[in-house]
Amino acid sequence: MGRTVNKKANPKLGVEIAGIKFRNPVMTASGTFGYGLEFTPYTDLNKLGGIVVKGLSLNPRQGNPSPRIVETPCGMLNAIGLQNVGVDYFIKEKLPALRKYKTQIIANIFGETIEDYMEVAKRLSDSEGVSAIEINISCPNVKKGGIVFGTDPSEAAKVVSAVKGSSRLPIITKLSPNVTDIKVMVKAVEEAGADAISLINTLTGMVIDVEKRKPVLATITGGLSGPAIRPVAVRMVWQAKQVAKVPLIGMGGIMNARDALEFIIAGASAVQVGTANFVDPDSAAKVADGIEEYITRHKTSLKDLIGSMKVG
Amino acid sequence: MESAAVKILYNKEVAPKYFKLGLSWKTPPIAPGHFVMLRVSDGLDPLLRRPFGIYNVLGSKGKGTFKGNGIELVYQVVGKGTQILANKAAGETINLLGPLGNGFPHPDGSKKIIMIAGGMGIVPLHMLAKSTEGAVLLYGARDKKVASMAKDFKDTKCKVKIATEDGSVGKKGLVTELLKTELKSDSVVYACGPVGMLKQASIISQAAGVKCYVSLERSMACGIGVCLGCAVKAKTHNEKENKNYRMVCSEGPVFDSEEIDWDAL
Ligand SMILES: Cc1cc2nc3c(=O)[nH]c(=O)nc-3n(C[C@H](O)[C@H](O)[C@H](O)COP(=O)(O)OP(=O)(O)OC[C@H]3O[C@@H](n4cnc5c(N)ncnc54)[C@H](O)[C@@H]3O)c2cc1C
Ligand SMILES: Cc1cc2nc3c(=O)[nH]c(=O)nc-3n(C[C@H](O)[C@H](O)[C@H](O)COP(=O)(O)O)c2cc1C
Ligand code: FES
Repeated sequence: MGRTVNKKANPKLGVEIAGIKFRNPVMTASGTFGYGLEFTPYTDLNKLGGIVVKGLSLNPRQGNPSPRIVETPCGMLNAIGLQNVGVDYFIKEKLPALRKYKTQIIANIFGETIEDYMEVAKRLSDSEGVSAIEINISCPNVKKGGIVFGTDPSEAAKVVSAVKGSSRLPIITKLSPNVTDIKVMVKAVEEAGADAISLINTLTGMVIDVEKRKPVLATITGGLSGPAIRPVAVRMVWQAKQVAKVPLIGMGGIMNARDALEFIIAGASAVQVGTANFVDPDSAAKVADGIEEYITRHKTSLKDLIGSMKVG
Repeated sequence: MESAAVKILYNKEVAPKYFKLGLSWKTPPIAPGHFVMLRVSDGLDPLLRRPFGIYNVLGSKGKGTFKGNGIELVYQVVGKGTQILANKAAGETINLLGPLGNGFPHPDGSKKIIMIAGGMGIVPLHMLAKSTEGAVLLYGARDKKVASMAKDFKDTKCKVKIATEDGSVGKKGLVTELLKTELKSDSVVYACGPVGMLKQASIISQAAGVKCYVSLERSMACGIGVCLGCAVKAKTHNEKENKNYRMVCSEGPVFDSEEIDWDAL
């Protein structure tokens, strides 16, 4: 695919979220696009609205034992264990090359304690080139017996307000779908100061090798992603939209522009493309092109499409 | 490295469930040990690409690295994806990502090269055989039909010794037994095949104080080092990036066998 000439951004495709101007509503999802630079042989990073980098923690993380992935019908399970180079290495070794592109760089962060989250956020906001922070709250809190921040509204709120207080950057909170009522989580993180909300992270699942009667993944369970989860994700974005005051960023199984438009029509101001990057490393740019084509064909704008679902 | 839609030149069964697939592709430079990821279907199931080693670069006279107008792969039908591949006909197009991986370190000529392959492990070693002289290939195959692949090594300057599980050709038993007799103190070993075989080859080589390079397989999603799914545990800690795991797709698939924590595989 290689590089294409970077044409002027179409104003009908642009969107502003939490004060950040995106040239188009398509970003790449955390953990599926590395630190962006790995994709330069295959796609034009300047065609993307934003790049959300692999989840960063205070110290480098080794990740889980192998096998870490397994394919499932129309999807995959992963249990990477949040392996990453650590926030300092990212700032020093990856960010300088990444910020040269005409795309917004969003740092996805996680921690095992609230203090971890705060420190990572602080270091990122002291560095040049990061436009926003996306908080991954689908992680266990080691100080609270491993309860996952993102499944408990009050723990989630604590993380968000702590990060908000440690950073000058806009805060996107990324919600876990592994909850009974997504609206409760939306309200909790919004009240705590989230400037935008992204959803969904992966759904917990597992696969068993019946011949061996053993789980396929070394960690037994993993996170399900890909087209298999898309209807669940669209439903959650639609539910979130009923209560959310801040903009939503939708994701889960987006393979093409049609899929992305479902999220936008359900109420998302922007989308993220994840697993599709593995199938076609040029996916996200193609989704952006396809949304532009749709907007031209329907003589509309992104703004008018957001949350435009007609019921009845 | 590129993502390309390429035309199938041929796709023929050479032994039961073993296929040779020719693809028309003006290749970037390819080194022995490189692989490609194929998207076997445009549909959503199977979703992920499948990795395959490169057996031959077509129309190339290269040595060391090869540039040509096509590649040949050899694959075994083991599941859904490879079955879909087997049903494809000449003239159809297929999407390919590659060449990927690090490839074998090029032998410097000071050592006697022993290649050891089990089953499909013969694939990347065929490319290596084409760029070396005076090497020996030890090939472990299920039976006579699979062992017939060894005749492709006639176009290389490489001696072939076979072991089959059923004894139908060559020595009956495990190919690692051949390694024990073949190994000298001035050898270097290049191995590809099932994990059990690689581990044995590693143990035998280490005991003899000989370097052994192994080409590993792992389930893959991206093939380009970003999903971190194809990890293997290393014995050594990478100080610069402070990590214990290596990605088979981007840091491998070829590793110094001493680097791998075999008990964790
Ligand atoms: C770097 C690399 C090079 C390879 N080169 C070749 C080659 O030259 N020729 C060839 O025939 N095969 C090769 N393989 C293995 C090949 O990728 C798998 O056989 C293929 O992905 C199976 O797909 P499937 O849909 O048919 O099987 P699935 O339905 O996905 O699985 C069927 C069975 O195959 C096993 N399997 C799945 N993926 C892999 C894998 N990546 N490695 C080993 N076993 C697997 C599964 O555990 C299962 O038991 C290579 C793998 C790697 C990682
Ligand atoms: C291999 C892999 C790694 C991921 N790593 C992260 C991560 O580090 N942080 C995070 O917030 N989400 C992570 N995710 C979740 C994705 O960002 C996304 O929320 C999810 O996969 C759903 O989108 P998709 O179906 O388009 O992939 C990861 C997903 C995959 C498949
Ligand atoms: S397959 Fe994704 S990192 Fe190797």
